Amino acid sequence: MAAELSVEALRAEIDQIDEVIVRLLDSRARCAYAIGRVKRREGKPVYEPAREASVLAHVRDVNQTLGGPLDGEAIVRLFERVIDEARRIQRLEAARSDEVGAGNVAATTGQGE
Amino acid sequence: MVVVMKERASDAEVQAVIAHLVERGMDVHRSSGAARIVLGVVGSGTVDRALVSLMEGVHEVLRITEPYKLASRTFKAEDTVIAIGDIRIGGDEVIVMAGPCSAETEEQVHATAAAVKRAGAKVLRGGAFKPRSSPYSFQGHGEAGLKMLRDGADAHDLKLITEVMDSSQIEVCAKYADIFQVGARNMQNFTLLRELGRARTPVMLKRGIAATIEEWLLSAEYVLSGGNSNVMLCERGIRTFETSTRNTLDVSAIPIVKELSHLPVFVDPSHGTGRRDKVAPMARAAVAAGADGLLIEVHNDPDHAWSDGAQSMFPAQFERLMAELRIIAPAIGRSICLEPLARRGWAR
Repeated sequence: MAAELSVEALRAEIDQIDEVIVRLLDSRARCAYAIGRVKRREGKPVYEPAREASVLAHVRDVNQTLGGPLDGEAIVRLFERVIDEARRIQRLEAARSDEVGAGNVAATTGQGE
Repeated sequence: MVVVMKERASDAEVQAVIAHLVERGMDVHRSSGAARIVLGVVGSGTVDRALVSLMEGVHEVLRITEPYKLASRTFKAEDTVIAIGDIRIGGDEVIVMAGPCSAETEEQVHATAAAVKRAGAKVLRGGAFKPRSSPYSFQGHGEAGLKMLRDGADAHDLKLITEVMDSSQIEVCAKYADIFQVGARNMQNFTLLRELGRARTPVMLKRGIAATIEEWLLSAEYVLSGGNSNVMLCERGIRTFETSTRNTLDVSAIPIVKELSHLPVFVDPSHGTGRRDKVAPMARAAVAAGADGLLIEVHNDPDHAWSDGAQSMFPAQFERLMAELRIIAPAIGRSICLEPLARRGWAR
């Protein structure tokens, strides 16, 4: 396929893929935000190393079935950034709730990152 | 025909054109777009198009060749967006309406409303007046059912859509519902359509089981020409020789109607297939084909539903479907249900 498409056509495809990636990252961030709300309510820590490890293992597994140019380490590096941002969203969410006066916030905010 | 006014046409010029048309026995529907005013002209009077095109302030006069006028893209090029409270039907977001076939008990309505809200639906569906194939089947709770549905919708911050079967039900339904649904069997009940044209509540017009797209749009024209411009269409399957599904869902109707008309198009995969396990694939296809929304039957306990149990989804199935749709919609540049997270004022 790639050999027959022009650079312009491939770049147009990349722009389109990027738009979908951004929309999906937005969806993912909103899920992380919703989880952050639950964590705050239940007094759970923002940073959960076991869950982060399982997210990375999952994307590495999915990537392996594709056999594409991105190797396991590359996909893990990319998703480490995605997780960093999700953790940041949850930390901000926990901090925001200070204003609302949730009692268990003080116990959780310190544990992020 | 459509009279497109010049961008800088004055009020006096617009009024002169309207007066000219009204004198000749035509009805004029004025719509003010961002840049210019467009006059939709319908009626049985005789108007000399050449004469109108020479009037002051007139940019051009177009003939609408389709038998439906107000519903056509020629009349209105941009998509119709219907705002109901904080939801916008026909915009970037695909709107999902879900709920039971009929309101049975308060517990059932509340449990189902909670489930569909959690999964991302914006509108609760449910019937209080049921058009059943058999006169011996459950016919609905009437106004008591409407009250149950309204309470369920309000308790979970949902809008409410319910079916109006007869002109006599419009008044009572208007007290409770945000959207009126006209069922497939009533698509050509022209008396009802005329009455709904006088109502101010948005109308969802389902496609008749043996109706062509043109007939369907002509039915929409009845509501539009009565003055109610908030009309959305819903494909729900047509009757074919195939018997393995209850109806044959005409997915191709979506892009065709989107081209012919500016009205939002919904799909009802529940009636479209009549089989619970076929609802999700057809819902995915509808979103991919460009539907503006879905109407899905969900019941908190489908095995004990009083009607349409076989095509009602379990709440967990519906949640899974919504998660799938949230992945499909971005591929065609749209979104589904992102609002619950944004509502709390989350910005940066």
